Amino acid sequence: MEEFKIGLCPYCGMGCRFYIKTLNGQPIGIEPYPGGVNEGKLCPKGVAAVDFLRHKDRLKKPLKRTENGFVEISWEQAIKEIAEKLLEIREKYGPDTLGFFSSARCSNEENYLLQKIARLLGTNNVDHCARLCHASTVVGLAQTVGAAAQSGSYTDIPKAKVLLIWGYNPSETHPVLMRYILRARDNGAKIIVVDPRKTRTVWFADMHLQLKPGTDIVLANAMMHVIIEERLYDREFIMNRTKGFEKLIAAVQKYTPEYAEEITGVPAKLIREAAITFATAGRGIVMWAMGLTQHVTGAANVKALADLALICGYVGREGTGLFPMRGQNNVQGACDMAALPNVFPGYQKVTDDEKRKHVAEIWGVEDLPSKPGLTIPEMIDAAAKGELKALYIMGENPVMSDPNTKHVIEALKNLELLVVQDIFLTETAELAHYVLPAAAYAEKEGSFTASERRVQWNFKAIEPPGEAKPDWEILTMLGKALGLPKFDYSDVEDITREITLVAPQYRGITPERLKREVMGVQWPCPSEDHPGTPRLHVERFATPDGKANIIPVEFKPPAEEPDEEYPFILTTFRIVGQYHTLTMSNRSESLKKRWSSPYAQISPEDAKKLGIQDGEMIRIVTRRGSYTCRAVVTEDVSEGVIAVPWHWGANILTNDVLDPEAKIPELKVAACRVEKIGGC
Amino acid sequence: MEKKLFINLGRCIACRACEVACEKEHGISFITVYEFRDIAVPLNCRHCEKAPCIEVCPTKAIYRDEDGAVVIDESKCIGCYMCSAVCPYAIPIVDPIKELAVKCDLCAERRKEGRDPLCAAVCPTDAIIYADLNELMEEKRRRKAERIVEAQRKAVETLAYFG
Ligand code: SF4
Ligand code: SF4
Ligand code: SF4
Repeated sequence: MEEFKIGLCPYCGMGCRFYIKTLNGQPIGIEPYPGGVNEGKLCPKGVAAVDFLRHKDRLKKPLKRTENGFVEISWEQAIKEIAEKLLEIREKYGPDTLGFFSSARCSNEENYLLQKIARLLGTNNVDHCARLCHASTVVGLAQTVGAAAQSGSYTDIPKAKVLLIWGYNPSETHPVLMRYILRARDNGAKIIVVDPRKTRTVWFADMHLQLKPGTDIVLANAMMHVIIEERLYDREFIMNRTKGFEKLIAAVQKYTPEYAEEITGVPAKLIREAAITFATAGRGIVMWAMGLTQHVTGAANVKALADLALICGYVGREGTGLFPMRGQNNVQGACDMAALPNVFPGYQKVTDDEKRKHVAEIWGVEDLPSKPGLTIPEMIDAAAKGELKALYIMGENPVMSDPNTKHVIEALKNLELLVVQDIFLTETAELAHYVLPAAAYAEKEGSFTASERRVQWNFKAIEPPGEAKPDWEILTMLGKALGLPKFDYSDVEDITREITLVAPQYRGITPERLKREVMGVQWPCPSEDHPGTPRLHVERFATPDGKANIIPVEFKPPAEEPDEEYPFILTTFRIVGQYHTLTMSNRSESLKKRWSSPYAQISPEDAKKLGIQDGEMIRIVTRRGSYTCRAVVTEDVSEGVIAVPWHWGANILTNDVLDPEAKIPELKVAACRVEKIGGC
Repeated sequence: MEKKLFINLGRCIACRACEVACEKEHGISFITVYEFRDIAVPLNCRHCEKAPCIEVCPTKAIYRDEDGAVVIDESKCIGCYMCSAVCPYAIPIVDPIKELAVKCDLCAERRKEGRDPLCAAVCPTDAIIYADLNELMEEKRRRKAERIVEAQRKAVETLAYFG
C-alpha cells in the first residue's frame, strides 16, 4: 500500500517539510508537502532524504569491541555493561572524568535526556557540535541582545530593504532560504555579500566585499566608522534601547575605510558604499554563518555584527533582525535543551543557585553540579591527557568534524570507555568500545527546532532497521540502568512534557499542540494558548535591564598567518550536495555521483606560479597534516587563498586553536602550502 | 491556456535539486544544470510549439499530449535519433537500458494525478516554474510597475526635501 507521511528534513537548519512516500512500510521517495516554511520546495539533499534510510551499512545490532574486532551483543548486555562501566569510572576517578557529546542531529527530547544523564551523574561535561559552528553566536548574542537565536522570522526577509550576508553562502547551505532572499531582491532590496570567495550567493548581490579570511572585525568596524562619521545611525533607537554607543564611537575611530582596505583587501570606496547602503536602507537584516563564527575572534566577530545592526536600529522591527543561520536540523534545539556545559535547559546558568535548585527539584534530586563543564575541544584535550576517562557520543562524528583530526584520534584512543550511538559505523564509531544502533529521523518521533526558533514535530513514517532504537529509548534504558531517578518515560511525549516544565521558552509547546499544528510554534511560548513569538526584542531586549549592549571589539589577526614555509591562507566551505562528514549524504547515489570527490579552489595567479593545471592532483600541507585532492583553478578565490570543501576529511589540515570566549576552533583560517603532484 | 515549463536563468542557484528530483522520478535525469562563472543554465526539453523533433520522426513516435507536452511513444520509437539531431537543445538521449530515444515528458505520470512536474515542484528559487506563461508575465509586469512607482515616489520625496 502506498502512503504519504508528513516528514521533516534531517539535513540543515531550515526546517523544511516534505511527505515521505512509503510502499508497504518501506520508504520509496519524497513528495512536496506544501504547508511548511519551505512552501513545498526542497534542495537536492531534501529530495534525496530517504536514500540513506535503508542503506545496507545501517547499524542494526549493538556492537562490542573485542580482541577480534566488533561482535554483536544484545541490548540488555550492552546497556548493563555500559552503565556498570560508567558508574565504575565515576566511582574510581570522580564524575568530571565522564564526558558526553550530544547531537544537533537528534531531537529536543534526546538532547534533553543526554544532558540530564550527564548532570544526574554529577558532571556538566556535556556539549555538542554547536561548539564548532555557532558557539560564537551564542556568546556574542547573549552579551549584546541577551538571546542566542535568530531574532526574526524568514518572512521578515522579503520585507527588508537591505540584506547584509556575512560569511554565509545560502545558495549552497540553505538553498530554500534563497527563495526568501530573492523575494527581497524582487521587492527592491539591496544585497551585500561579505565573503572571501565569489560564491553562488554573490551572483545575486549588488556588492561583494571580498575580504581576506579572518579580517571581519576590521571591515565591520570600518563600516561603523563610516556610519558614525556620516551620522547615518538611528539616534533615537540608540538612545532609547541601547547602552555603550560612546565607547563604540571611540573604538572605531581608527578604523577608516582606507586603513581597512590595507588589512582586508576590500577597496575603501566599496566599504563606504556598503556602509551607506546598509545604514540608509531603513530596514535591514544581517545574516551570518560559519565564515564569521569559526575564528579565534568568533565571539567578537558576532558582537561586531550585532553592533552594526543595533546602531542602525535594525532589530525588533518588521524586516529587520539578526539572523545566525543554523546548519543542522536541531542545532538550535540542542542549545535550547542545554547540551552545553554552562547552562540547564532554557539557558539557565548552572551557577545560578535558584535556577539550579528549581531544575533539581523537577528531576527529583537535592542539587546538581554547579561548576560549568568542559567544551568539546576541552574534553578532547582532557582525553588526550588522560584526565577524561569515558566519553559517550550520541550522533556526532568528531574524528571528521573536529579540527586537527590526528589529535582527535589519539585522544579517543586514550579513553577507558568510548560509547558511540549512531545510525552508521562512522569513523568515530570505529574507535568505540560499544556501538549502539540508533533509529534515523523518519523512524522515530520527537520535536526539532529550526533556525527561526520554530519547534516542529517529527512524525514517524517507517520502522527502524534490525534492532535499532530511537536515541530517546536508548537513553531511557541507560538512565534506568544507571539507577537515575525519574527515568520511567514510556513514550517520547512524556519527555516533551517534562521539557515544558524545565525550559521556560518551551512552556506552551506541548506534544499535542505540535502534532496538531504542523507548522510548529516559535519560542518563546509561555503558555499553551500563546501563539508563539515570530520576532524577538520588539519592546525590550532579553538583557537584565532590557537594553541592548553595544560592545566595541578590536581586531586580532588569525592565529596562523602565512609565512615562508606555509605561504597560503587555507579556508574551508560547504557544498550544496554533500552534508558535513558525508555519513548520510554520501549514501545517496544521486548525491554521491554529482558531488563525488574532494577538490581545492586556487586562483589562476597562484596556479600559474606553481605550474598547476585545472583538474590536476595537488597536496595541501599545514602544520598538522596533509591532504590530497584535485585543483580547481578559478577566479572565485583571490590570490593567496586556497579554499576546500571540508566534507572529505579536510579537517586533518585545520587549526584547533580556540577562541578564548566561545571555545570555538579557528576552522576558517590556517596557513598552508601547496604541492603539485601531477596526473589527474 | 495550458501550462508551460518556464525557466528563469536569473533565479537559478545551481543547486541541482531539479536534477536529483528528475532522476528520482524517471531513473535518469532529463534535466542538466550547466554552471558558468556567475550564472547557471538548467536545460531540459522546451516542449517547443513548433517542435522539429515531431516533424522529423519517421514513425510518428513523438507527439503532443493533451497538456501540450512533447512526448515520445516508446512502442513506436525505432532508435534512429533523428530527433536528437534536429533538436536545437540536443535533448533526446539514448536510454541506457531500452536503447531508445528518451527525454523529459513533463512528468506524465504525475500530471495524470494532477501534480506538477517534479523539477518545478521542488526548485527552491522558482527558477523553474510550471505555470500559465501569460499569467506569469502579467504578474511580473505588475511587480515591475510597482517598482517604478516606488522609485518615482522616492524621487519626488527627495526633490521636496532638497527643494
Ligand atoms: S534546505 Fe535544508 S531543510 Fe530544506 S531540504 Fe534542504 S537540507 Fe533540508
Ligand atoms: S532546482 Fe532550480 S535553482 Fe536548483 S539548479 Fe534546478 S533550476 Fe536551478
Ligand atoms: S526534444 Fe528538442 S525539439 Fe523536441 S520539443 Fe524538446 S526541446 Fe523542442
